[in-house]
Amino acid sequence: MPHRTLAIVMAMAFWATSAAFLWGQTYLPPDYQTATPSTGSVVTNSLAQSPSTVDAPSMGRSRGQTIVDVPVDLKDVFELGGEPKSIETFLTLEKQQQTVARMSSACTVSVQIGRSQGCGVIVTSSGYVLTAAHVAMRPGKFAQITLSDGRVVRGRTLGMNRYVDAGLMKIEAGQNQGRPWPHASLGKSREVIEGAWCVAMGHPGGFDIGRPPVPRIGRVLHVSPAAIETDCALIGGDSGGPLFDLSGRLIAIHSRIGNDLSENLHVPIDHYDLHWARMQKGEAYGFLAGFKPILGVKGTGDGFGAVIDIIVEDGPAEKAGLKPNDRIEKFGDFEVKTFDDLKSAVSDTMPGERVIIRFSRKGQTIETLVEIGRDDD
Amino acid sequence: MTSQLLNHRFYRSVGWLVAVVLCLLSNNVLRADDARDSRSMVRLVSKISAKLEGSVAQVLCGNRIVSLATVVSDKGHLVTKRSELTNDPIRIRLWDSRLYPARIAATRRRNDLALLVVDAPIEWKPVQFVDTLPPLGSFVISVGRLGDTISFGGMGANPRRVAHNSLLGVSFSEPEGRPTINQVISGSGADSAGLQIGDVIVGINERAEPSSHMVRQALKKMFPGEEVRLRVYRPLDDTTSEVLDLVAKVKDRSQLGESDNDRRVNGRRSMRLTGFEKVIQHDTVLEPEQCGGPLIDSKGQVIGINIARAGRVVSYSLPSSLLMRDVSQMLNEANYNSATVPAN
Repeated sequence: MPHRTLAIVMAMAFWATSAAFLWGQTYLPPDYQTATPSTGSVVTNSLAQSPSTVDAPSMGRSRGQTIVDVPVDLKDVFELGGEPKSIETFLTLEKQQQTVARMSSACTVSVQIGRSQGCGVIVTSSGYVLTAAHVAMRPGKFAQITLSDGRVVRGRTLGMNRYVDAGLMKIEAGQNQGRPWPHASLGKSREVIEGAWCVAMGHPGGFDIGRPPVPRIGRVLHVSPAAIETDCALIGGDSGGPLFDLSGRLIAIHSRIGNDLSENLHVPIDHYDLHWARMQKGEAYGFLAGFKPILGVKGTGDGFGAVIDIIVEDGPAEKAGLKPNDRIEKFGDFEVKTFDDLKSAVSDTMPGERVIIRFSRKGQTIETLVEIGRDDD
Repeated sequence: MTSQLLNHRFYRSVGWLVAVVLCLLSNNVLRADDARDSRSMVRLVSKISAKLEGSVAQVLCGNRIVSLATVVSDKGHLVTKRSELTNDPIRIRLWDSRLYPARIAATRRRNDLALLVVDAPIEWKPVQFVDTLPPLGSFVISVGRLGDTISFGGMGANPRRVAHNSLLGVSFSEPEGRPTINQVISGSGADSAGLQIGDVIVGINERAEPSSHMVRQALKKMFPGEEVRLRVYRPLDDTTSEVLDLVAKVKDRSQLGESDNDRRVNGRRSMRLTGFEKVIQHDTVLEPEQCGGPLIDSKGQVIGINIARAGRVVSYSLPSSLLMRDVSQMLNEANYNSATVPAN
């Protein structure tokens, strides 16, 4: 598994063409603490009652509304990640999935940011929404959030840990007459075991009016600190959507897929806990291995912009028509005064994203559209 | 003696090699055993689908397997996916491998259904359509020719209309009011048929001298995978020209806009994957030629018939409510005494 090479795509529906990337090997973010293996969680314990040293006070640890009891019949299947041995147990498993799918529909949302669409899941009564970093893109962006009942509300992106593709948003206050938002019960991804049955929710192919979030049933195939892999089939539009276990606890967020139907990767929920404080503050940092954005220029700042010295051959900047000595003054929404400004603006984009660049050439101001590339290193 | 020893060593190393290979293989098998449709899970679920044994057949056109079919009458009527049928002679392979010729008795183009009839002394076992839908997240099972479980998955979305958006893959301008092609999308039906920039469409499906509006209307009515007959006028140089009769396949917008990457993640899909009055969305994994068979719930009740493999996450089934209507209408057209139709 660690040395497997597979093609991975961000499971987000760009209105333009979705970008394909190569995923090298399993990536361990530098600040991740090694997870302890699962000892089989006790079903009746809700998260609010199970403090742990790694649990930051972070997500509020409300009980949430998706948690459901796991029947005795399913104890083995749930705790050991096994298969039902009889039709009776198979039917009990089905009933459990129906319940989890029903309970988790209300907190699953569709997220529209700019031209791209993904998903998210509400995790607090105050309206914090977990999503994928590549759905949120960068802090402070306006997000149109559609609840499963069709209501559309305003949200704003907060921080993101791009090392693992974890992103955070918040629904703006004052849109629910003071009532709490429906929200998910939280699980612990370090307790997730291979073989466990799970329910993925989301909007495959994009939000479709009149179609509630679509449940997918599958099993956990592989667990690593950086990602959980399942055979819950995902596709563009699902990114940022929630993955639940059989007790209705949120265990991961949809991130990316490979070619094979069994290659569906999710961000383990513990990352949101560990990085909550930074993400809540609106910090964006890191990049997912194989997904580092590049513009393809080298240069220096002069206080008025970033002056290009070298253009990388066949790079995104060259394709967009930029030339040496051009001074980049604006990159998307960001004013550029120094070369570091430009670097930080580029690092806030995703490969495949299209950005308008304003630059000056021989006293003339020109605008061009550049498609951000992917750094192969 | 030495050679014997060498031989022994040789065999021993081969033995090791075999052991290592087996170990690697079993690793893969173990991994597969954790999957949703592992072999043991499929074996368990097959107990449910086995009730359908005798009600499912395979459809061949010429020597090619094109689809599955579901038995709907005690007189040898089966329904299948219409657009997979070709002009080649149709045969049915039964659960016991017997082959019989079949012919088309009726069709429902808007839902891509065909009613086949087989004249053979067989005790047919028609399915019973059940018009109740399991809740979202329930298990659904796609059944194969032997009453086997092809795959099982989850109920994803309740029946809804899935519109089609058929495109020929050209854009045209209208100098002198005549539709003149100014762009051909590569990989489109127009591209494969050999349409070129500058061609003037002077006939579409037997209609002569159509306006641009008429061309658009004619294309709009076509479903993905269907063929449009075109007559084009092609100027060769200032003085010569030719008139060509071409046949082009229309494709759905989702197929036409598919990137290489989309193609890889979606896998093989049905040509006719949109344009249905009502379909259940589920995620049982099907090959395009496995459409036409029954979709059952965990009790073994027939809740629909698989009608399209639409993508990585999506298979579509026509729901029983729609089938009860369309199938009994088609049986009537086929002069079958509707009083004995089990799909009441």
